[in-house]
Amino acid sequence: MSRRKTNKEYEHTFAFRFFRWLNGEKDPYLNEVEMKPQHYEGPSDETKAEWEREHKEMLERVYDTEHNALLKFSRIAYRVAAVLFCIMLVAVLLITVSYLPPVGNPNNPADNVVAERYIEKGLKETGAVNIVSGMILTYRAFDTFGETNVLFIATTCVMVLLMLDDAILKRQEVKNDRRFEPKNDAILQVIAMILCPIIFIFGIYVILNGHLGPGGGFSGGAIMGAGLILYVSAFGFKSTQRFFNEEVYKVAKITALCMYGLIGSYFYFTGGNGIENHIPLGIPGHILSSGIILPINICVGLEVACTMYAFYALFRRGGL
Amino acid sequence: MEWLQFVLGTVFLLTGLVIFGIQIFGVFRFHYVLNRMHAAAIGDTLGLGVSLIGLMIFSGWNFVTLKLFLIILFLWCSSPVSSHLVSRLEAGTNERLEEHLEVEEK
Repeated sequence: MSRRKTNKEYEHTFAFRFFRWLNGEKDPYLNEVEMKPQHYEGPSDETKAEWEREHKEMLERVYDTEHNALLKFSRIAYRVAAVLFCIMLVAVLLITVSYLPPVGNPNNPADNVVAERYIEKGLKETGAVNIVSGMILTYRAFDTFGETNVLFIATTCVMVLLMLDDAILKRQEVKNDRRFEPKNDAILQVIAMILCPIIFIFGIYVILNGHLGPGGGFSGGAIMGAGLILYVSAFGFKSTQRFFNEEVYKVAKITALCMYGLIGSYFYFTGGNGIENHIPLGIPGHILSSGIILPINICVGLEVACTMYAFYALFRRGGL
Repeated sequence: MEWLQFVLGTVFLLTGLVIFGIQIFGVFRFHYVLNRMHAAAIGDTLGLGVSLIGLMIFSGWNFVTLKLFLIILFLWCSSPVSSHLVSRLEAGTNERLEEHLEVEEK
């Protein structure tokens, strides 16, 4: 084998580095790109030993594991029951799968009249030009109500877990490394002053236009929440609290959810009992049309905007 | 006229694609935050602008073109501001800044 280049010259070529990378001999990013492991300060060894001692003491004193026959039995029974339950679950799922119809069969239950009805009669029955919006907010309004409730419950749980008292907030502000964050940045404030109104107007447009085109409460609410977040990061929490504090948040959120519940239950009640409901459908294509879709879209939009902003504020600072 | 539109649009789109390639190359090639951010900003402003201009040429004179133009305006407002914030955070938090760049004493 003859080589045109010496070994030292070869080490400078692209091919050498490529094959070195290919064979996994050297990671090209190791020691080259800035990578710092996070420093974790866990509990000290003494605290860990104390925890272990307490745990052992508790087991011995409270449960008396050596001489407790019931505990021994329940441990064995628990393991046996867990294994049995898993096997049964697997069996039930496999049997269900074996009963599923084959893919592509025209007689499958999924290919029924429902989809056709949505497309053919959707405009006439819901008054919404946007079929998707008409579907999720009238035919399937119950499902969407559940989704809105999920958002509400999620923010409530986050509030329970992360909400802090004002006194703790003030103490943390001194200790927190957030004080290095660029605050009151002039460039950001100017851009936010220009962009925030546009973002809000666009969000409102998307919400109000939900039954006429792509959009609706969920997307419009997300846009409005993003606008709120931009406002907060530019001007700080103090100036946001002038128009969006905890009271406004509570009122907006609960009112939106209750309004959705009221409108929805009226709609379900009349529809389920075959009574005529008195919500006019209007002329398709007009902004004030399509019955319950527009108010429900507004409710959902408020709910989503509040959720987005509350998540951001709670995770960033622990308070609205 | 139609093929002129097609050729112009394609040229703009391909230019945008090349710029995106340069951006990704730069992001992985540079080692320091500010350098990498500089490389990333090329794609965010020039690459996106050029490719959206290509799409505008494809769509012709209509409402969609106006929307695309508004998207360019929005991104040109927001992307430099976010880069500015990241660089300010880096300058404020990095204790050994002078290892990477010249620091003006105040």
